[in-house]
Amino acid sequence: MIVAEQKPMEEIRRVIAPYERVLLLGCGTCMTVCGAGGEREVSFLNSALRVAQAKSSDGIHNFSEYTVKRQCDFEFLDSLADKVNEVDAILSLGCGIGVQVVAERFPDIPVLPGVNTSFMGMAKEWGVWDERCAACGDCRLAETAGICPITRCTKGILNGPCAGTKNGKCEANKDMDCAWILIYKRLERLQQLDKMRRYYPPRNFRVIPRPRRIVMKADVEPGEDNG
Amino acid sequence: MDNYQASRMREASYGHSLIPPCQVACPLHMEIGEYVDLVAQGKVLEALQVIRDGNPFPSICAYVCTHPCEDACRRSQVDKPIAIRALKRFAVEFGGDRMIQLEAETTQSEKVAVVGSGPAGLACAYYLRKLGYPVTIFEAYSELGGMLRVGIPQYRLPREVVDTEVQRLIHMGVEIKANTRVISLDLLFDIGYKAVFITVGAHQSLRMGIEGEESPGVIDGATFLREVNLGLKPSLGEEVAVVGGGNVAMDAARAAVRLGASKVSILYRRSRAEMPAGPDEIEQALEEGVETMFLMAPTKMKRENGRLGVTCTRMELGEPDAGGRRRPVPIEDSEFNMEFDTLITAIGQAPQISEDFRLRIGKGSTIQVDPVTLTTNRAGVFAGGDAVTGPATVTQALASGRQAAFRIDDYLRHRYPLVDKEAEETLSGELSPETIEMIRKTERLEPPILPPEARAKEFKAVELIYNWEAAVDEARRCLRCGMGAEILFQDKCATCLTCLRVCPYHVPYLDEGGTIQIPADQCQACGICVAECPARAIVLRKPYDRRHIDEELEHALKSAAESKSKPLIIGFCCQYGLFGTGALASLWRGGKAGIWIVPVLCVAKLEGEHILRAFEMGAEGVFIAGCGEQCSRENTAFWVLQRVERIRRALSQIGLEPERLQTFNLRAAEGDTAEALDNFTGQIGRLCLASVIKQEVKS
Repeated sequence: MIVAEQKPMEEIRRVIAPYERVLLLGCGTCMTVCGAGGEREVSFLNSALRVAQAKSSDGIHNFSEYTVKRQCDFEFLDSLADKVNEVDAILSLGCGIGVQVVAERFPDIPVLPGVNTSFMGMAKEWGVWDERCAACGDCRLAETAGICPITRCTKGILNGPCAGTKNGKCEANKDMDCAWILIYKRLERLQQLDKMRRYYPPRNFRVIPRPRRIVMKADVEPGEDNG
Repeated sequence: MDNYQASRMREASYGHSLIPPCQVACPLHMEIGEYVDLVAQGKVLEALQVIRDGNPFPSICAYVCTHPCEDACRRSQVDKPIAIRALKRFAVEFGGDRMIQLEAETTQSEKVAVVGSGPAGLACAYYLRKLGYPVTIFEAYSELGGMLRVGIPQYRLPREVVDTEVQRLIHMGVEIKANTRVISLDLLFDIGYKAVFITVGAHQSLRMGIEGEESPGVIDGATFLREVNLGLKPSLGEEVAVVGGGNVAMDAARAAVRLGASKVSILYRRSRAEMPAGPDEIEQALEEGVETMFLMAPTKMKRENGRLGVTCTRMELGEPDAGGRRRPVPIEDSEFNMEFDTLITAIGQAPQISEDFRLRIGKGSTIQVDPVTLTTNRAGVFAGGDAVTGPATVTQALASGRQAAFRIDDYLRHRYPLVDKEAEETLSGELSPETIEMIRKTERLEPPILPPEARAKEFKAVELIYNWEAAVDEARRCLRCGMGAEILFQDKCATCLTCLRVCPYHVPYLDEGGTIQIPADQCQACGICVAECPARAIVLRKPYDRRHIDEELEHALKSAAESKSKPLIIGFCCQYGLFGTGALASLWRGGKAGIWIVPVLCVAKLEGEHILRAFEMGAEGVFIAGCGEQCSRENTAFWVLQRVERIRRALSQIGLEPERLQTFNLRAAEGDTAEALDNFTGQIGRLCLASVIKQEVKS
């Protein structure tokens, strides 16, 4: 799941300042799950912005709110077509993908981000999210016992642990587990410690061309001869 | 366009509550959960209104109902059931039920005769009057009430209570013909009645069928109680035996105590566990000095030298009979003799229906009726109450009377009977052990009763009324079955598992298909998941016209705007703590300049948007007051403080001082709430002044 956090109120107020009618647009998938931009957050933000407006004399906005099931697919945005005609800007509480898809779908209207898209991760417990995947495009989890050193090691090293590990914690943050100690313990448990004794050559991140695209469909001519 | 999603939520959350087991068990299907909840909030008048909507004579039930609702109460799986009947008594007394006057207009022309003025007859007359029919009640005795008058002793049901109800019926225009025994139904039809409701009760005591039963000194229970209840004082002598184990036997024994008998013994052929009398009745009888002799039955009686010689056989318990109780079997050669002055037989009663009525009689001399329409074999003749069921409870009789009234209405309007459908879903099922473990155990509070020595001398009501605090505390024990959370919008649910993670009772679960389920029979209606759900997909099942928090808030804001007092402070207060016994009760009653209270039923249900809305509408400060150590819920303070921190953060980002949002009395022992509130008011005053000065400087 994509994890994000809402932008500070000052920034949100600054970016919407030029627009009178603003649609606060939530996303019903990842942003709902990570508590950054679901229907509740949209409603909370709407309330908070109205308080800010009531308590200060600068700028009169007219806010409306709506939450779609998913912002990252055009089809979910179709229901917005009428609504966007009545607003001057959309503040999207979708992730960076959502913001761009909304912008692409509605080319004539400014679309502003309401959240900082942070990482791909999981809920550790209620209200706590941890990063788990860097989307490096070359998964090595088979060698590292299902624990990703790229993401969970501060240095992202492929041959750990480094000398900065102490009591199983990282030198960069002593509350944080050392990923390589976790990998070692899990390999030991799985009786695969031999994987620790191998050398993994450095990876060449330059080979990843951006933006990436994955094509699943086969290259077949769309014909009209299907009967 | 804007808040279509919010309004969709509001509309959908009406009328979804499931019928709780107490209501299912009640013969009248009263909205018990609703009125218990209203008592818990200290809203006694509203509670009485709900009670009156479902019961024609709540004062009577408040005294004598055998409360099957309490037997069904799921709180008994946790500790003890809610004292529902005693709470009803509290509501009718404190709500002033006896002062209520009712009017009824005659809108129909067909006259209806009600034969018998017991609870079924009175209830039938009540509802028929409300439907606009001219009604006449015929009563053979001089006073109205049937068994309420001649069967139930005064110490259980004071006569004034029955008198009040009869007076109310007269005021509603019911015609009363006392001292009038109906001998022919044909005659009633001849003089213009279009329908007749027969509810003559079951006043005929069953005979034991043993030698010497006709001896002087042997009296049957129904006759004995009738004499006592009509003010006669039958002379009993010193030693009295009562044969039987039902409520009539208990009443007879306790009446004998009050008439001055020095020794009263109950002879019962089974053991205490099989006694059909109510456990409270048995307990109170024992407290008053009634003795019990189990596993024995009289076989012979003889009057000698002014005393009554009774030969008894000892019994033992054999195989269970059809009703599930173990059958008593005489032990051979175990006969022995005892002596009493009087013996009262109370082994059962049956109706006595005049043959001239030409009604089909069934098992146990009862009138045969269609159970749905209450029609008899004669056109236009309906029957109900004990005359149909055999001896039953007052509440069952009231239900039968009400049913008869509606079916008579159908008959007279030539309508196909509109039989009550179970349209709404009911809630059933046991609480799971994990849920039970998380529910805080609280003692059931019994209403005070007269001490045994004070009550054995006279016929005064034994049970007294709760005081305000005790009633509120007892009502708060209700688990509110059927009012729990529900994922109303599965399409919105992102299966984020927030509800599963935040529920203090571990109720939500993931089913095999990966869908979140919140089983209604386990939910404790704390509302935490409702306020936390990031998709706003969950609502609380809501009983009829209860106001949502946002509606209460708008109401307070409107009143505040009209009064123009400053600085404006909005206080969200737990309704239990506030209206009940909490430190804030005086605040609500007394009021304080500039402070407006929004009642919430548990502060854990308060959402961030509610608080922000108060600020938006001009509040200078907002406080949240819980019910402190009275709180019967888990984790409420934690969740309130989570949201408070979040809003304080937002406030400071907006440029408002976070101190403008304050909490009181969320956890136990927080000192003097009233003083803390005074400080808060002062602080808000200063902040308000400072911001005015800042504005001035700016401009």
